[in-house]
Amino acid sequence: MAKLIFLILTLIPILCTSFSPDKPSDRRILVLVDDFAVKSSHSLYFKSLQSRGFDLDFKLADDPKIALQRYGQYLYDGLVLFSPTIERFGGSIDAAAILDFVDSGHDLIVAADNNASDLIREIATECGVDFDEDYTAMVVDHAGYAVSSTEGDHTLIASDDFIKSDVILGSKKIEAPVLFQGIGHSLNPSNRLVLKVLSASPTAFSANPKSKLTSPPSLLGSSISLVSVIQARNNARILISGSLSMFSNRFFNSGVQKAGSPTKHDKSGNEQFLTELSKWVLHERGHLKAVNVKHHKVGETDEPSIYRINDDLEYSVEIYEWSGTTWEPYVADDVQVQFYMMSPYVLKNLANDKKGHYFTSFKVPDVYGVFQFKVEYNRLGYTSLSLAKQIPVRPFRHNEYERFIPAAYPYYGAAFSMMAGFFVFSAVHLYNK
Amino acid sequence: MAATDAQSSLRHAFGNVLVFFILILIGVLAFSIRLFSVIKYESVIHEFDPYFNYRVTQFLSKNGIYDFWNWFDDRTWYPLGRVIGGTVYPGLTLTAGTLWWVLNSLNIPLSVETVCVFTAPIFSAFASWATYLLTKEVKGSGAGLTAALFLAMVPSYISRSVAGSYDNEAVAIFALIFTFYLYIKTLNTGSLFYATLNSIAYFYMVCSWGGYTFIINLIPMHALLCVVTGRYSSRLYIAYAPFVILGTLLASLVPVVGFNAVMTSEHFASFLVFILIHVVALVYYIKGILSPKMFKVAVTLVVSGGLAVCFAMIAVLIAMVASSPTMGWSGRSLSLLDPTYASKYIPIIASVSEHQPPTWPSYFMDINVLAFLVPAGIIACFSPLSDASSFVILYIVTSVYFSGVMVRLMLVLAPAACILSGIALSQAFDVFTRSIKFQLPSLSVDSHVDAGGASSESVGPDDTVKTDKTEDAHKERTSKKSRKKEKEPVEKPPSKSQIKKRLSVLPLETSIIAIILLVLLGAFYVVHSVWAAAEAYSAPSIVLTSHSHDGLHVFDDFREAYAWLSHNTEVDDKVASWWDYGYQTTAMANRTVIVDNNTWNNTHIATVGTAMSSPEKAAWEIFHSLDVKYVLVVFGGLVGYPSDDINKFLWMVRIGGGVFPHIKEPDYLRDGQYRIDSMATPTMLNSLMYKLSYYRFVETDGKAFDRVRRTEIGKKHFKLTHFEEVFTTHHWMVRLYKLKPPKNRIRGKIKKTKSKSTPKTVSKRKGLKRNPF
Amino acid sequence: MAKTSSTTKDAQDLFHAIWSAYSATPTNLKIIDLYVVFAVFTALLQVVYMALVGTFPFNSFLSGVLSCVGTAVLAVCLRIQVNKENKEFKDLAPERAFADFVLCNLVLHLVIMNFLG
Repeated sequence: MAKLIFLILTLIPILCTSFSPDKPSDRRILVLVDDFAVKSSHSLYFKSLQSRGFDLDFKLADDPKIALQRYGQYLYDGLVLFSPTIERFGGSIDAAAILDFVDSGHDLIVAADNNASDLIREIATECGVDFDEDYTAMVVDHAGYAVSSTEGDHTLIASDDFIKSDVILGSKKIEAPVLFQGIGHSLNPSNRLVLKVLSASPTAFSANPKSKLTSPPSLLGSSISLVSVIQARNNARILISGSLSMFSNRFFNSGVQKAGSPTKHDKSGNEQFLTELSKWVLHERGHLKAVNVKHHKVGETDEPSIYRINDDLEYSVEIYEWSGTTWEPYVADDVQVQFYMMSPYVLKNLANDKKGHYFTSFKVPDVYGVFQFKVEYNRLGYTSLSLAKQIPVRPFRHNEYERFIPAAYPYYGAAFSMMAGFFVFSAVHLYNK
Repeated sequence: MAATDAQSSLRHAFGNVLVFFILILIGVLAFSIRLFSVIKYESVIHEFDPYFNYRVTQFLSKNGIYDFWNWFDDRTWYPLGRVIGGTVYPGLTLTAGTLWWVLNSLNIPLSVETVCVFTAPIFSAFASWATYLLTKEVKGSGAGLTAALFLAMVPSYISRSVAGSYDNEAVAIFALIFTFYLYIKTLNTGSLFYATLNSIAYFYMVCSWGGYTFIINLIPMHALLCVVTGRYSSRLYIAYAPFVILGTLLASLVPVVGFNAVMTSEHFASFLVFILIHVVALVYYIKGILSPKMFKVAVTLVVSGGLAVCFAMIAVLIAMVASSPTMGWSGRSLSLLDPTYASKYIPIIASVSEHQPPTWPSYFMDINVLAFLVPAGIIACFSPLSDASSFVILYIVTSVYFSGVMVRLMLVLAPAACILSGIALSQAFDVFTRSIKFQLPSLSVDSHVDAGGASSESVGPDDTVKTDKTEDAHKERTSKKSRKKEKEPVEKPPSKSQIKKRLSVLPLETSIIAIILLVLLGAFYVVHSVWAAAEAYSAPSIVLTSHSHDGLHVFDDFREAYAWLSHNTEVDDKVASWWDYGYQTTAMANRTVIVDNNTWNNTHIATVGTAMSSPEKAAWEIFHSLDVKYVLVVFGGLVGYPSDDINKFLWMVRIGGGVFPHIKEPDYLRDGQYRIDSMATPTMLNSLMYKLSYYRFVETDGKAFDRVRRTEIGKKHFKLTHFEEVFTTHHWMVRLYKLKPPKNRIRGKIKKTKSKSTPKTVSKRKGLKRNPF
Repeated sequence: MAKTSSTTKDAQDLFHAIWSAYSATPTNLKIIDLYVVFAVFTALLQVVYMALVGTFPFNSFLSGVLSCVGTAVLAVCLRIQVNKENKEFKDLAPERAFADFVLCNLVLHLVIMNFLG
């Protein structure tokens, strides 16, 4: 009994620290499925998550007891929606609750399918991804389909058009194409928050595979995105995929040969692709934090409250990247700092010492006003860093100018000669009879 | 003889004591008539500009003079900041700061606010004493006392110096009159000591107010007038030349003026007259030491040779001046010289209500009875014409012109009017009391009534017991005319040996009645001044009151909003509003503002004006680029407060459109008319100012009736997409909005479909009406 | 021809007349005049210097020139007040005039010192 209590007592601090802002990886994930068969048919994917330390909580999507938060606290740190056909969630979850969940900084993985419901489509649209409005359409590729023993309608396609980013997809190249069967979506090109991770090949189109085409399809070619990610402004990450079956064990284990290509791969790239992608979505990669912003005049250590024009100052910041378990120093050469007042007066690259410490020094410009030290770092796949620190810059005080200007010596001389003349004159005048 | 000498010296001593006590009473009167606002409301700083002066004085009292001199204010004109030391006239703040410091070192713990509030009445007492001194130099102490009394009560001066109106004019008018007094004194005595004092007083004036250019142009004009009318004397040289040199030097010491003291056209008149007076002095000197014949030779030589050189120099000067687009004049001076200049080129100057030309009734309101006495005073100054009285005449003429251009400059007219009316009234009293004295049975000077007296006698029987002021003035003028007429034969060439002083004596009853009527005139003036001080000019404008059937309503919305801001926002949050409220926001709410009343950067003001005139999204973009967090809007539609932002909105459009051409004023007008009802243009209905003013206004009375514009508004039901309302004061007079942060996710392109009306779906919609807009 | 010769003759006559009249002035006034000439000369020197070098420390230039001109003006004022032929000032004690002159010069030089740097 005492041992149990002791065990519980030791566990409590661990439980308390399991999710803190210092450790951005999510730990508890709610997985909503249409039926529990998905749990076993997609077990490889779930096992990959669990092996990295995530607690998966499987629930039916219309289970009336599910809830994302209770008494204002969120119960989970991430949400996986593998329930493409759900019309209405059970319990207290609905589209607005899911979007609030994302807006409060949590991650989301959504998989749609060719029978995706309005609700799933609506959630995707709110995140910035537009599924094909034709509900019967699927992605068909007559030139990039996956070769299989049975003659299919070419909706099972093999795609290898990945986004070029080591942060998102990992450093190891994905050799085999990825199998996909589902609906396609498009992205608004002016939306800077969404990224196409897996695009369809130029020969793909989105149409009803069972009927003849009556009009040109609305989604064509490489503009069709098969898998997209969204990084919201608060750095919450969302993965939206048009196919639930690409996560399944069957697709993970099957071999793949793209039509028109001679190589036959024994294992599709699905497992590697989706595992690496889930690492990125759940903040195990590409998550930066910037701390310890310091600035001071050259030669001093205290941070002044106001600078003067033409001062020399030093600025430093520390940037770390979360590796899944610890904070590692982030090393890059392209972090820049701006000295900004309605437009950047100074723009400098920060040098780093490979241990996460970035620094530079520059001279305050000759303009006075209220400036800001701005670090805006937005790189593909990384969380956006946006630091701003306000500092006023004053002009010279009246006694900070040059004391004696050489060019003015004649004027000084003249003025003093006037005073001397005055003395002499008054003496003469007074004593003259 | 000795007895009469002793008697006269005793009388003199008694007279001096009397003068002293009367002056003390006048000072007390000047001080107390300005206390109505403190009694009716509270000891609070009024209006907008005084809040800035108050904040500067607070800073000065807290940090000392060196920090004040170098103060860089980063809480205003964000993000440009403002160098206070170099852009403020330090006279007022230094005066109040010194006063506070002196009182505190004497262990009288008055707060800075109290000292600031009461500075103006104290200095108005000083100003009336200075008026006494000035008029005494011109005409004598009787006129001086009358003029001082008039100045203590003249409504125009009261309006700018009530207790709480802590603005530059409070000390500047005193400095103005005192400088003029010292100039006249130097002119009358020719003493270099007074010339020095004159320059120092001018320095104090330059420190205090931008209106010092009036002095530096009036005095040269007067010197020129004296030279031209042949009244040059060496006293004029002593009065003028050191003043110009020392004055220019001292003016350049003040950072606000700096090198403008020698570079701008406002000062050129003084230099030109300086050169001219030297030439004249030289000419007189040469004339003095040469014989007349040789002098004629000299003149011909100089005229032929020197004139060529002179023309060359003048041509060079004109070329230099004409090369600058405004010919060296600053915008404000040009708007004074050419009344139409500001409305064409500088909309900000034109938009200030104080800069509009005054209406005729405002003359009667502001200087009342003095308007009738001034012409009499002018005539009195002509007989005899001395340097001092010619100066006063020049002063009144120029100030009448300038007051006709800008109603704010009625303030400069007031002392001149008081001086001349004092002279007139005192001369009138002189005549009447002398008539009475001579007609008392102890004296026998009836035979001195002459032809001039006869003409006034013919008027005498006509006068009944009418209290007609115009008849009074008419009588005064005839009496003056008669005096002048018989003075003329007296002022023959001084070869006349007998200077028989011919006095005009009016009949006794006439004099008595005239004196009674004049006293009545004065009584009207006093009643009007007290009424003006109590009712018209004592409103602090930060607290409003209205009388209704259920008592007195007090509208303290401004302070409510500023207090909310200071308690509910972060210290570094930026507040955007129209520039009128900038000073009050920094002083009372202690928040950084984007633009304020100093209006030195037209582009920045135009940016704010453009944001207020644009639709919500564009306005949000502009404000976001300026790091603005809160927007403040003043709205008077619920209570009928007419000076709200919707009434000022067209100026925002004009000023914004002056810099950003995509804002066009006709877009906001329907058929040339400014409307906010259902006939308003869509641009107007979509502008940020309309939306922020009328958001949720329909909830007050269901019909959204705007009491100032007297109509129902056009768009009644609408939502704000980029702003959210954070505070509205009790009477809806000040409304505060916060900028919404940018959206976390960007929505896709597919439009939201209507929810399917299945029985399972629970619609959580509020019952908002669908509005057609 | 004749006109020019007559003008030159007139000029010479004028010059002699002025010279003789001036020599009649008392010595103390001549001392004051010398002082004035010294001040004006220094001012001219400074203007020439500024024309060569440019107006860079404009405040120093202004204060230098104005100190010279101011000294000259004040000396002229003193001369006016001390000159016995001046009827307006015959009841002004020369000591008083001199005292005023000293005071004014003090103020002038104080301001110059402040403005110079």
